[in-house]
Amino acid sequence: MTTPTSRELPVCTCPLGDSEMGSESTVVAIECGENEACRLRALGLYEGAQVSVVGKRHCLLVDVNGTRLALGADLAEGITVRPQGRAAH
Amino acid sequence: MLTSPKESRSDRRVAPRTDVTATAGPERRAATEPLRVAIIGNPNTGKTTLFNALTGLSQRVGNFAGVTVERVEGAFRMHDGRRVAVLDLPGSYSLSAGSPDEQIALEVLLDRDGQHWRPHVVLVVVDACHLERNLFLASQVCELGIPVVIALNQFDMAQDQGIEIDVPALIHDIGVPIIPTVASRGEGIEPLKKALFTAAELPPPARRFTLPSEIEASLVPLVAHLEKGGFPTGTARMEALRLLGVRRGEAHLASVPDLVRQLDAARDAIRAVGHTPEREESEARYGWIGELMQRAVKRRIASTETTSDRMDAVALHRVGGPLIFLAIMALVFQSVFSWAAPMQDGIDALIHWMGSGISGLLPPGDVQSLIADGVFAGVGSVLVFLPQIAILFAFIGLLEQSGYMARAAFLMDRVMRRVGLHGKSFIPMLSGYACAVPGIMATRTIDDTQERMATIMVVPLMSCSARLPVYTLLIATFVPALPLMPGLDLQGATMLAMYLLGTVAALLIAAIFRKTLLRGPVRPMILELPPYRWPSLRSLFVSVWQRCLLFLRRAGTVILALSIVLWALATYPKADVDTSLAPEAQQEQQLAHSALGRFGRAIEPAVAPLGYDWKIGVSIVASFAAREVFVSTMGTIYGVGGNDDALLQDKLRSEVKADGTPAYTPLIAVGLMVFYVFALMCMSTIAVTIREAGGGRLGWKWAGIQFVYMLVLAYGAAWLTLVGGRALGFA
Repeated sequence: MTTPTSRELPVCTCPLGDSEMGSESTVVAIECGENEACRLRALGLYEGAQVSVVGKRHCLLVDVNGTRLALGADLAEGITVRPQGRAAH
Repeated sequence: MLTSPKESRSDRRVAPRTDVTATAGPERRAATEPLRVAIIGNPNTGKTTLFNALTGLSQRVGNFAGVTVERVEGAFRMHDGRRVAVLDLPGSYSLSAGSPDEQIALEVLLDRDGQHWRPHVVLVVVDACHLERNLFLASQVCELGIPVVIALNQFDMAQDQGIEIDVPALIHDIGVPIIPTVASRGEGIEPLKKALFTAAELPPPARRFTLPSEIEASLVPLVAHLEKGGFPTGTARMEALRLLGVRRGEAHLASVPDLVRQLDAARDAIRAVGHTPEREESEARYGWIGELMQRAVKRRIASTETTSDRMDAVALHRVGGPLIFLAIMALVFQSVFSWAAPMQDGIDALIHWMGSGISGLLPPGDVQSLIADGVFAGVGSVLVFLPQIAILFAFIGLLEQSGYMARAAFLMDRVMRRVGLHGKSFIPMLSGYACAVPGIMATRTIDDTQERMATIMVVPLMSCSARLPVYTLLIATFVPALPLMPGLDLQGATMLAMYLLGTVAALLIAAIFRKTLLRGPVRPMILELPPYRWPSLRSLFVSVWQRCLLFLRRAGTVILALSIVLWALATYPKADVDTSLAPEAQQEQQLAHSALGRFGRAIEPAVAPLGYDWKIGVSIVASFAAREVFVSTMGTIYGVGGNDDALLQDKLRSEVKADGTPAYTPLIAVGLMVFYVFALMCMSTIAVTIREAGGGRLGWKWAGIQFVYMLVLAYGAAWLTLVGGRALGFA
């Protein structure tokens, strides 16, 4: 596995919902409605933030810097992350 | 009628007034004027607890129907007599207002809310456990050109979690006074009060980070344009950066002409230099905050699974979660009905005792009748609901403070989504069980306008505490207490059925609205699940106290006035009663002759299909302003003074129509209850819908739709109950 050096590098990125439970990833891109993106950034989920999925129900439960967020599955689909430590899939 | 305040609002946007703030920085405060402090902070930071700790019971909640409705203002005095006025702004994650709630906060801070309440100092409440996210809002507020004080709240919890905060280093880097506080225990409040006065004399803080020079250059025309639109330089720079990520129209920006074109130009310029405009603000602010955190904050323990996570494993469990939720709801309702009963009996007895005591002192006649049958019977029948309202609001406060409310919204999201609503709509609907007015006001946290309107439209279908007296009277009188199963008899089941009927109807009607007038996609869920906390009893007490005061004020004004008017309508004009008849018959004659009786007979054809006689018709009409008046009207009509429920029940059972058939049968009583489940009979709700739906013609339009659909539903459902019941062989 190559270590990605820039956020444009498509290797090893995946939607937030596909990242492994409990392991940290870095947010690479947020693609969703502008209002939602704005809200997510204010909640600390911005490009570059560390997130980890802590639960999967009808929504995704994620940890962002100690804040627990419940995110709709459709929304989580638009959040691309780069898992750390191991390659995605 | 609502155009004039709007006009004056836009008038204020012209330059002269704002120029003063642009050049002179913070406004100088006259020595006699109280220090104006606005409190802002993320939700779940203990902001309201801190506000309560600062101001105690000296708070003023704006009247429901008035213009100051969203403002909770408090005050306190320093030892030396200096006065401080404190405004509790709605919880906001950032100044980029997504919900109407956050919009209000921004407008107050920019002094564009039309209230002329520009704060001298802004107190930003920051959760010490989630410093990074909380400092995002703080860094925005620090650019508004107003002195800032930061309260580092829940400082004890941060220490418990192994978070070491170097406060002097933070003060140095952010450039504002920072006071560690534990609002729930009242710690740090005195130093905080002093810091507010110190800060008022300090120059306001400014931006502490720099944008990449190419971004800064791209923003220059936009900043200049905002300055021309009346914003001081610092604010204009903050707004320019903030607006890169937001495209929706914000009301306070209406004064800046041609803003959209300028914004698009700035965005294009930023894209041209290889950046993404939407990301700029969060990257710049979080970048700065990250450096700050490295210098000033140490985590001794790596974050692991917390107690909250372990509790959530149970509370959000696929099977266990909904079960716990239902158990909590059952507990809430059980306690509202059973715990309140002894207190209600006490209030009832007290009012009865006072009423008969006072009327005993007066000579028999109109004045005695006014006091006993008008004032005490009318207001008394409403006051007995105070315990239920207090208990329900105490539970709602408890659920909110403990952090469970967010979990409930999370669990309910699946159900709500099916009818086109958001999980957050659950909270207004739950409040609706107490009273539709705070329920409708709680919809302000819903971002999407269509979802919010749909929620407003159905909140009044939740059976509020004002319907309780109607249900209670009719059930106790006409439904036998047949045991159905342990702990539930037919009376209890009927009550439950009325609540369920309203709730199910609310969900169905919401779905209809979302498919017709309020069509649109359901917004994806974004919900913070705050850590579980022990509620602060003091803060809980203050908020329940506020609710009770509002209710009492209503009982003392609207209900009192209506009771007296009704009494007069039922008493005049005087009939020449045949004194040889029994007292009941005399009363009947008098009532039939009175203005109320005449009116009742005029509308009798409208209510006859529902099986009602003119007396029920009168009670319904009288209670259009407030449902609880139904019971007191019945009391007045049947001449049962004081508050004698048992006597009123006897009278209702033995009441016959003109043709000799009983006026009330169990079926008619059930139909009447169904009518009350659906009908919107509450002036306060109508007033709050008008306001919350946007005021003016728009507000009246939605309030009109709400009133008419609920009335049609009520009439239709009551008629169906009667016809269906008869077809099934019930009397």
